[in-house]
Amino acid sequence: MSDHHITPLRTYLIIASCLFFLSGVTVWVSYIDLGSFNIVLAMLVATVKASLVAFFFMHLLWDDKKNLVLFLMSLMFFGIFVVITMIDTEFRGALGFNPETKNPITKRASFYGQLPLTDTHGYPVDSHDDIHHGDDDHH
Amino acid sequence: MSHDNSSPSFFQHHFHDVEQQYETSKFGMWAFILTEVLTFAGLFVAYIVYRSWYPDMFVGVHKLLDVNKGLLNTVVLITSSLTMALAIWAIQKNLKKLSIFMLTATFVFALAFLGVKFQEYHHKYEVGQLPGKYYSYMGPEVVEVIKDQEKIDYYTSSNNVYFDAETNRLYKTMNNPHIFFSIYFIMTGLHGLHVAIGMGLIAWLIYSTARGNIHQKYYTPMEMIGIFWHLVDLIWIYLFPLFYLIG
Repeated sequence: MSDHHITPLRTYLIIASCLFFLSGVTVWVSYIDLGSFNIVLAMLVATVKASLVAFFFMHLLWDDKKNLVLFLMSLMFFGIFVVITMIDTEFRGALGFNPETKNPITKRASFYGQLPLTDTHGYPVDSHDDIHHGDDDHH
Repeated sequence: MSHDNSSPSFFQHHFHDVEQQYETSKFGMWAFILTEVLTFAGLFVAYIVYRSWYPDMFVGVHKLLDVNKGLLNTVVLITSSLTMALAIWAIQKNLKKLSIFMLTATFVFALAFLGVKFQEYHHKYEVGQLPGKYYSYMGPEVVEVIKDQEKIDYYTSSNNVYFDAETNRLYKTMNNPHIFFSIYFIMTGLHGLHVAIGMGLIAWLIYSTARGNIHQKYYTPMEMIGIFWHLVDLIWIYLFPLFYLIG
C-alpha cells in the first residue's frame, strides 16, 4: 500500500485553517440581518466547509471517482426526498377540497394551556411582570 | 502486489491483490456513508418541513440555544477532524507514536464535544426545554403577557393565546416551541450517538495501532474510521447553522 497518495501535512493545516475561518464567518454573518438571504448564505458557507472536509479530509479528491459518485448519489436522493415531501406539505389544501388540511397542526398544542409561566431558570412565577432579567440570565 | 508473492498476514485470499482489498473496503465504507447521509436526510426533511410551517417560532426559539457553546463544539469537532487526518498521515509516514498521539487527541476532543453537549442538555432538562409532551418551559422568551385591552380583543381571535382566569391575564405563546426541541434533540442526539460510537472505534484504533496490528503497510481500518469521523464533522457543519444561527 506504499503507492497510496499521501496528502502533504501542509494541505491538512491549510484546510483546517479555512474551516476555522469559515466557522467564524458563518457566526459573524448570522448577526447581520439579510432577511431570507441569511439562511442561503449560512447553507452556502456550510456547503463550502462540507466540500473541504469531503474532498481533502475524506480524500475524495485523490480517490477513485466511484466513491465520489456514491456520495453525490446520496445527496441527489436527499434532494428528491425534500422536493417530493414539500410538494405535499407546502401545497396541502391547495386543491380546495378541504381548507382545514392546509396547515393541519399549526394550532397550539393543548398542553400549553395547563403549563404555569416560568422564569428563565424554569421556575414557576405568577407573572412575567414580577421579574427582571439581565442578559446574563440565560444558560 | 499479487498473491503469488509472500502474501502479508492482513491479505484475505478472496481478493485479487492487496490494492483491490483496500479499494473494496473503501467502496464499502462509502456505501455505508450513503446510508448514513440518508438516515440523517429524513431528519433534515423533518426540519425543513416544520421550519416552513413555523418560520417565526424557529427563529424565536433558537435564541434559547447558546451560540458560544455551539461555536465551541464546532471548533472542537474541526480540530478532532484535523487530528484524525494527521493520525492517518503519521501512520502513512510510519510515525507510530505520533499516530497514537493524534488518535488520543481525537478521542479527547470527542469527549470534550460530548461534555459540552451534556452541559447544554442538562440545562435544557433543568428548565424544561424538552421535546414533545415533556416540554414545560413557559419563560419570557416564548410567552408574552398581554395587558393592553385593544390587543386582548385583537388576539382573542387567534389560536395562540389563552386566558388565565385565576390571574385574569391573557397570554400569547410562541407557536408550539416543543416541536423545535423535538427536532433539536433527535438530530443532535443521533449526532451525539455517532460521536460516542466514533469514540469507541477510535479507542479500538489506539489499541490496535499500539499492538502493531495497524501499521504503514496496513492502515485500512484507520482510513475507514477516519472517513466515518469526518462524516460526523460534516453533519455537525450543517447542524450548527441550522439550530444555533438562524434568523
